[in-house]
Order: sequence, then C-alpha cells, then structure tokens
Amino acid sequence: MVDTDPNSDLRESSVSRRRFMAAAGATGAAMGIAGCTGGDDDDGTTTVQLSADADFEAIEDEIEAALYDAGLSEDIELEVLPGDFETDSRREDYQAALDANRGDPDIFMMDSGWTIPFILREQVLNLEEQLSDDVLSRIENEYLEASVDTATHPETGELFGVPFFPDYPVMQYRKDLVEEAGYDPEGENWATEPMSWEEWAEMVADVWDYHGGEDEYTYGFTTQAAAYEGLACCTFNETMSSFGGAFFGGRENLFERGDRPVTVTEEPVIETIRMMRAFMYGDEDEEAHPDFPQITNNDLVQYTEEDAREPFTNGNAIFHRNWPYSVVINGEDDAFGEDLGTMPLPYGVSPGDSQYDGLGGTQHALGGWHLTVNPNSQNLDAAIEVVEAFVDDDVMLTVFELNGNLPPVPEVVEAADPDELGPIGRYLDTLAVAGEHTIARPVTDVWPQQAAQVYQEVHDAYTQEKTPEEAMEDLQEQLETSDQD
Amino acid sequence: MATDRSNEGSNALRRLLQRPVNRMETLSEAAYAYILLIPAFILLAIVAFYPLIATFRMSLLADETAGADPFGEFVGIQNYIDVFTGDTRLTREFVDVGLSGSFPFLELGTPFLRQALFVTLAFAILSVIFETLIGFGQALVLDKEFRGRRWVRVAIILPWAIPVAIQGMLFYLIFQPTVGFGSDLMQWLGIFGSSPLASSRDGFIIVLVADIWKTAAFMALLILAGLQSVDRSLYDVARVSGASPWQRFKMITLPIVMPALLVAMLFRTLDAMRVYGVIDSTVGCSTVPSLTCLVVDGLFGGTRIYATAATVAFMTAVIIGLFVIVYLWRFRETEGGFA
Repeated sequence: MVDTDPNSDLRESSVSRRRFMAAAGATGAAMGIAGCTGGDDDDGTTTVQLSADADFEAIEDEIEAALYDAGLSEDIELEVLPGDFETDSRREDYQAALDANRGDPDIFMMDSGWTIPFILREQVLNLEEQLSDDVLSRIENEYLEASVDTATHPETGELFGVPFFPDYPVMQYRKDLVEEAGYDPEGENWATEPMSWEEWAEMVADVWDYHGGEDEYTYGFTTQAAAYEGLACCTFNETMSSFGGAFFGGRENLFERGDRPVTVTEEPVIETIRMMRAFMYGDEDEEAHPDFPQITNNDLVQYTEEDAREPFTNGNAIFHRNWPYSVVINGEDDAFGEDLGTMPLPYGVSPGDSQYDGLGGTQHALGGWHLTVNPNSQNLDAAIEVVEAFVDDDVMLTVFELNGNLPPVPEVVEAADPDELGPIGRYLDTLAVAGEHTIARPVTDVWPQQAAQVYQEVHDAYTQEKTPEEAMEDLQEQLETSDQD
Repeated sequence: MATDRSNEGSNALRRLLQRPVNRMETLSEAAYAYILLIPAFILLAIVAFYPLIATFRMSLLADETAGADPFGEFVGIQNYIDVFTGDTRLTREFVDVGLSGSFPFLELGTPFLRQALFVTLAFAILSVIFETLIGFGQALVLDKEFRGRRWVRVAIILPWAIPVAIQGMLFYLIFQPTVGFGSDLMQWLGIFGSSPLASSRDGFIIVLVADIWKTAAFMALLILAGLQSVDRSLYDVARVSGASPWQRFKMITLPIVMPALLVAMLFRTLDAMRVYGVIDSTVGCSTVPSLTCLVVDGLFGGTRIYATAATVAFMTAVIIGLFVIVYLWRFRETEGGFA
C-alpha cells in the first residue's frame, strides 16, 4: 500500500535537517573529487594519433609497416583516427580541438586550403626547429613548390606543415564515344596537349550531338558548380586563371593580404562566367558567351564532386572534371577501364596573353593535404619522428598505390612502375602535365570567409540571379571589405 | 594554556556556526525548501546567465583573425554598428535595408531571403502558423475514437521521432535532380525553378515544408494534451442546447485548449527563431541564411571572427527575448497562462 498522507513522512522522519545538509554536502564533495581523478596507462610503447581520411584507417597497417621500413622506431605505434570526409567539417573539428588546447590527436592532416589560417593563429607547431636538416632541405628542394607554399608562414617563410599529397584535377572522358564520333585522341595527343576551351567545347558539342544529345546522354560535360568551397578554390579559380584572370592581381599576391588589389571585375573573370553560362544555358541566355555552345545543363549549379561524378560513372555524361580519386574509380575494369581517357584542362588564352605572370594556358586548381603537429601533444618527439618518416619515397608510393594519392615529390611518380599502380598508372602522363600547371587558392587568414563570398556571388551569376557584371561588382566590394585589416 | 585558548576559539566558531543551523531547524517548511533549492538556483543562474554575459563581453571586443589571441582590443558597440551596416566578414548580411525616396520608403539592398533577420522572422512566423493549424487538425483527429486510431497516432507522431540530420537528408534527396522526384514535380507544377536547392526562394520553401512536416506532430501532441482535459459532458450540454459544431469548437474547445496552445506556440516560436539544423542539412546556410547560420558562419567559417559571431549571437538572444516578452504581455490575461 502506498501511503497517501503527505504529512506522514514528515512526522515519521528521523533525520534532522542539519544531518541531511551535512550528508548531502559530503556526498557532493566526494563525487566532485571522484570525478577529477582519471587513469593513465603505460605499456612502454608510445601511440601517436594521426587524424586523417577514413580511407587511411583501412590501410593503417600497411602505412605503419612502410614507416618502420623508413626508419621509424618500432616502439612508436601509429593510430589513424578517421576524420570527417568533408573538408569544412574537418576544419571545424580541428579548430575546436586546437581552440580548447587539446593534446590529441598528435598529428593533423590539414587541407592545403586552410592550413595557413592555423599557422597565422599560431595553433600548429613550427617545424623549422623540429625537423632534421636533411628532411627540411628535401622538402625545400624536391617537394612541389606550390604545395610547400601553402604549408609555410607567409611572412616568415618558416615551415609549419609537411605536404602529404597534392591533388590536382584532370578532364576525364569516354574515349570510346569520342572515337566513334570520328576523333582521334591518341593521334592528337589529347593526354598531354591542352586544347582551348573553344576548340574543346565545339568538340564536346559535336560528340554529344553525334550520340543523340540530351535524349541519350543527360550531360555532355559535368563539373562542380554548387555554392561551396570547391567552386571558389578550384573550378572557378582554375578556369578564370586559364583566361588570365585573378582574384587579387596575379600569383605574387596569393598569400599576403592588405595591400593587394581586388581584380574580379576584369574582363577575363567576366568571360569565365559567360562561358559557363553558355555551357549551361546555351544562346537562350542573353549573358551567355556567344562563342561557346551549350554542352550541359544547369543541374551543375547543385553539383559537388560526387554529384558530378555519379552521372559520368553511370554512363550519363561524356566529359567530366574531377580529382584523381575519381580516375581510380572510373578507370577500374568494371567501370570504363581502357575506355576512360584523360586530358589536361583546356585553356582560355595562351600563357603569354595574360596581363599577370604565370596565368593563362592550362591551369589546374591545387588541392592537397599537409601533416601538421599539435603543439599541445604529449608525444611531441614521437609525432615529429612519424612526420619525418613520411618524407620517404617508399611511404609515398605505398600511399599512392593503395589510395591513389599523388606523391608530393613529382620525381617519385616518374620512378614508379606504372603497371603496379593499377588504373591510375595509365594516366600518369596527364597527371604530370596537370602537376606542372597548378594554381593555388589565395589562402590568408581570411580566405575561408572570402571563399564563401566568392562562391556565393559566382553562384548567383551561374544561376542567372545576377548578371556576371553585377555579381562581380558585388564581389569586388565584399572582397575589398574583408581584405582590409 | 595554549590548548585551552584554541579550544575556546573553536568553541566560539562552533557557536557561530550553530546559530544559523539552529535557526534552520525552526524555519517553516517553505523557507526550508527554498534553502535547499539555493544551490540549484545558483547553478541555473550560472548556466543561464553566464554564457549570455560572456557572449556580450566578447561582442564588445575586436576580431583578431591572426595571432594567438582570438580577441583584440575593446571596441564598444562598433561590432553592432558593423553588423547592421554590413561592414563585416560574415558571408551573408544580417539585415540590409536602405531608405528610398518613394513608397514604401525602404528598399532592400540584397534580396529579402538573403538577409538573416528576415529569413528567420519569416520562417518563425510562417512555420508556427502552419504547424499550429496542422497540429490542431491532427490533434482533433487523434482526440476522436475510431478503429485504427493507434496506427494513425503512430503515423502522425513518427516524423517527430526522426533526427534532424535524417530529416534534412530526406528532403535534400527528394529535391536532388538526379535522385528525387520533388524537383521535377514542383517544376511541372510551375512552383519551383530548375535548381531548387540552389535558389533562395525555393530553398526557403523546402526548409519550411521540412520543418512543418516534422514539427506539426509536436504541436499535435501538446494540443492533444489540452484537448483531453476538456470535460466531455460540456459537449453533451452544448449539443442539447443546439450548438453547431463550429460553435462547440469556438465556445468550448478553443478556450479550454488555449493555455496549452499558447505554451506550445511559445515553445515553437523560440525554437523556430533558432533554426539551423534543418537548413544546414538540406539547402545550406548560404542559400537560406538564418541568424544562427550567421553565428555558426562566424564561429566555424574558418576565419576567426569570434567577436562578430558573439555580436550576432547576442542580438539573436535579444530578438528572441523580445518575442517572449510580446507573448507574455499579449497573453498575460489568459487564464492559466504564463503569469
């Protein structure tokens, strides 16, 4: 029976108020102290945590073996923690960890697009004093320079990250369809000789038309044009650069803000947008560039990498711009195998015709990832040793073979046996051309914000919400504001 | 001697401590209860007010995008001025309205649905109206006795059980051109343009529908609780007196349900003013920017503009506070309301 008289408890209560207070206070204090104690376990080896792509977790043992072969002490164990696949989420995770001064993970795999902000905020370890001279000089002399630039303090020139692998896109296409339409990619050296956008687009339109156009293949061409980082850093940046345009007046102004001009209202930038509008809307669009045919539709404005790859892999598109990871997928024997062709990205103007040095001609956005060390790590020496072991040819080749990630030292690829590399081994020639013609994004401490401004305005122009001129004038204003101190 | 003196000292201390403890033994039940609740009140005050005060303090400092320290010098209300005038590094405007020479004397600098304040207000008002109407309808159905009522109940409540990320993914995929049917259907009906996930107007509608789909169930549950407290005999009396169904609803159901309805609407409004998850997981903050989107953008956008983020966060809290005051003031007379 439940006693329903509310007063009965009080009458029968034998605990005095002071006793209750004392007991409650003591319990609280005891639990508080208990919560503060933790445990340490120590079994003689040091475990270094590396936060990286989830794919690396699957090949952790192979990487670890390669690192031991490269001279890493056997009492250091590598533990790969799978990071978020999406670069922005990964950046947020690392930012939260470093803002809170957390000691783990010991090593971060950071996108070359946002390593510099961490360097400028003094949140990653300065490697200049930590790495051995041999390793430092190898990075300085043999690594892809454009990659190293994005792992270096822009003002002091000190190294804060070791490039892990660079990434640059190529144009992929269905060689079988192109040949059926009467073209000769092998004879004309498509794999290494870039075409102009005009020449290329005419050809795509022709091949698409030959194969029944929209009714048979939804897209002649797919690329990434959604409002996301990839549009700002990469697809738009490289196309604009191939027309000789720039966000901030040329290559020399990429990494230091403040005094540089904003140059997004210049003709080459506008031309780029008008060409893309021609590709998506054809001559129905008044703002479309009259010299280019329609070769796709405006589904592109919602596409990121995987959205754009799927129609191509499923046989609904003829040409496709993407990173090497997708070459591995599309080049598999159960995908297109030998029917997959690659070529460098087309160019807008010849290299000499840009008003800025080093722009114009074929240009490939430079992506890629760096290894940086957590300055709060409890295993600093072991972490440095692991990072140094990654600066080894065989480790690079292991990662390339197993995961398709390009070695940061171009010569290492040349020395490798193409037959052992799987599908991507067939496309090394195109990758070599792409690697020689890369354009980095203008990474400063405010680039993440500027990138958003760029992709929003470019996207407004791509979706016909604004004319190219309106969008770029708005962007000019925003970039000028955000570039100031 | 020395021991005696220290004993005297500790006795004095004990007497000093005993006084309030003795007093405690003689307190009324209510007063004793309040004493026991003091630690909880202090904790609540810390949890509720400390973040607000800390946020306000941060909003008065300058942004430092480089260097080890995330905040710069004291700048007073400069951040608030910058947020209002659009002179910030945020990727979308908080509000961008200028004066113009002709009626209605205001003009929008950027489109309506690109301004976080308007997006949030429009979302809060529209979603609460639709959720209340639909939720009320659902609650009325659930309140009836019929065969299979249990299944209908499950069907209505199911969306509420779905996590926001899954809900967002559902709606994202429905309107993804190569996957879902939504894009084609809505274009065929002439409501959407060709790329709904990339358009602010279409995106806003998608977010609104996704939220209504999910949260109408929440309203239905709260309103149902109110409906079930209605004394059924009142309806019998009304029926005998010849009241029409509409009259029965207006004179009996609505007044009795009103307190529960208002609490439900208040909860939903507060929730809707903070909308973020459903936007982030469907069309993205760049297409449909809400106030919380701006805060997240400032905090996690990659460029360290924590002071600006704090400014927007504090302004969001103030706006939500204003809404609560309006509710409390408007409905202070309501029986069983919030007073």
